[in-house]
Amino acid sequence: MFQQIFDAINIGIVILDKDMKVHGWNRWMEVHSGIAEHEIKGSSFFNTFPHLNNPKFVRSCKSVFSFGNFCFFSQKLHHHLFPFKTTSYADFRFEFMQQSCAMGPLRDENNEIKYLFIYVQDVTEVAAYEQKLLEINMRDGLTGIYNRRFLESKLSEEFNRHQRYGGVFSLVMLDIDFFKKVNDTHGHQCGDFILKAVSSRVASIIRNVDYLARYGGEEFCCLLPETGIPAALTVAERFRAAIEQQETNYDGEIIKVTISLGVSEFRKGIESAEMMVKKADEALYRAKREGRNKVVVMD
Amino acid sequence: MMEIHENQILTSEEGEILQEIMNIAFGKSAADLADVIDTHVVLSIPFIKIMQVTELPMYIREHVKDYKKISIVEQNFWGRFKGDALLVFSSGSGKELIAMLQHGPGEISSFESDPIDILERETLMEVGNILIGACVGKLAELLKDVVTYTPPMVVVERYYTDALSERQFDVDKTAIVLKTDFSFTEGNVSGFLFLVTNNDSIKWLKEALRIFIEQYE
Repeated sequence: MFQQIFDAINIGIVILDKDMKVHGWNRWMEVHSGIAEHEIKGSSFFNTFPHLNNPKFVRSCKSVFSFGNFCFFSQKLHHHLFPFKTTSYADFRFEFMQQSCAMGPLRDENNEIKYLFIYVQDVTEVAAYEQKLLEINMRDGLTGIYNRRFLESKLSEEFNRHQRYGGVFSLVMLDIDFFKKVNDTHGHQCGDFILKAVSSRVASIIRNVDYLARYGGEEFCCLLPETGIPAALTVAERFRAAIEQQETNYDGEIIKVTISLGVSEFRKGIESAEMMVKKADEALYRAKREGRNKVVVMD
Repeated sequence: MMEIHENQILTSEEGEILQEIMNIAFGKSAADLADVIDTHVVLSIPFIKIMQVTELPMYIREHVKDYKKISIVEQNFWGRFKGDALLVFSSGSGKELIAMLQHGPGEISSFESDPIDILERETLMEVGNILIGACVGKLAELLKDVVTYTPPMVVVERYYTDALSERQFDVDKTAIVLKTDFSFTEGNVSGFLFLVTNNDSIKWLKEALRIFIEQYE
């Protein structure tokens, strides 16, 4: 009677014997694999799932049979043991169902280990939530580029690394000129539209290794690893020119903005990550004072 | 003080039998471990000590202080014999183990996108799980018990004084601490295994020890 649980439960159950032949395969496994129990029962498990014939999996099976161990395969590292399609059509985040699996021993009446069981839990939904939360935590909601928190943690990482091992990296601070006027003339929705347009244009110029973040309202910050002032200056100038040329069409109206930029570089005498930001900020404000639409390098 | 306390719990004869059983159990697990993880693990003769649970963090710290930084894998086991297993690895063990275990080509590909710290965590967990299971499982087997385990929890590369908190342990309980040091013949990996069990298991343990020794009498 209790046997019914085996097929009713919303968890996959596989039973293997010591020769790694399939001895049990519940309804859940049938549904998600498309393989009926009678098709797989008695056959070698590794015939159907050759990718599991790897040292870690074999090691785990051995430890179950020799010690009666329980082994755990977390979703974090393994993502899945069995490559099954996800059940939800709504979420394209994962190609395969994310699984949390474990294996353990099955003993006979003399306590001898005869089989091992593997259970498979579908944790796709939880994994998707987790990924989404991680993204929210590091990205700016409006523009989709990194947020200030993320940039600051990267910056302090880079700073500490350079303080220890030397080398060079730069920061470019940039700010949209007369942004308040855009908001006042065309409304905040237009302002948001411009923020998105500027950030995506700048993001299209940077290299893969650079980090672009929204630092404040209309202020952005770009971290350029392994880059000294001369190259950073070229990059900043490219940003400036690109935005100057950009025409944004908002509701049939062409809007043009410019940006001012300040560049700072990691060098002796700069004692903290905050000081690098301060130096870039000072340069930025000099650019503003000197007429805007301009790049200024720290002293 | 301590002596009186210990005597209340296990007689010296019972202590000796337990010691003997652990020698056998760990001898067997060392042999089987070589088969499972392809390297020989040296397990020292286990040492048994009985103390108040609150003294335990101090006791463990005293043993691991030379390591400075440690990683801990913790697992609860329960059968009639139940308790906590704490496996303390020396600093750098995780990375050594990654190098030792990741030689299969299939394995590397399944890991390549993951950062080293996740890999280190998982490797410590896997090896910890196997080691704990081997030692606890063999011990239980000799005492005719079957135990199950919770998934392992892991603390990676923490300064030894921060890695263990007093709050983790239930006050007013007595701990039977079974301490073993282990080292891998390959790679620079070593550490301690502490099995902490309490009063609840004592009655059963005494009985199991008696039955065990009867086989030889």
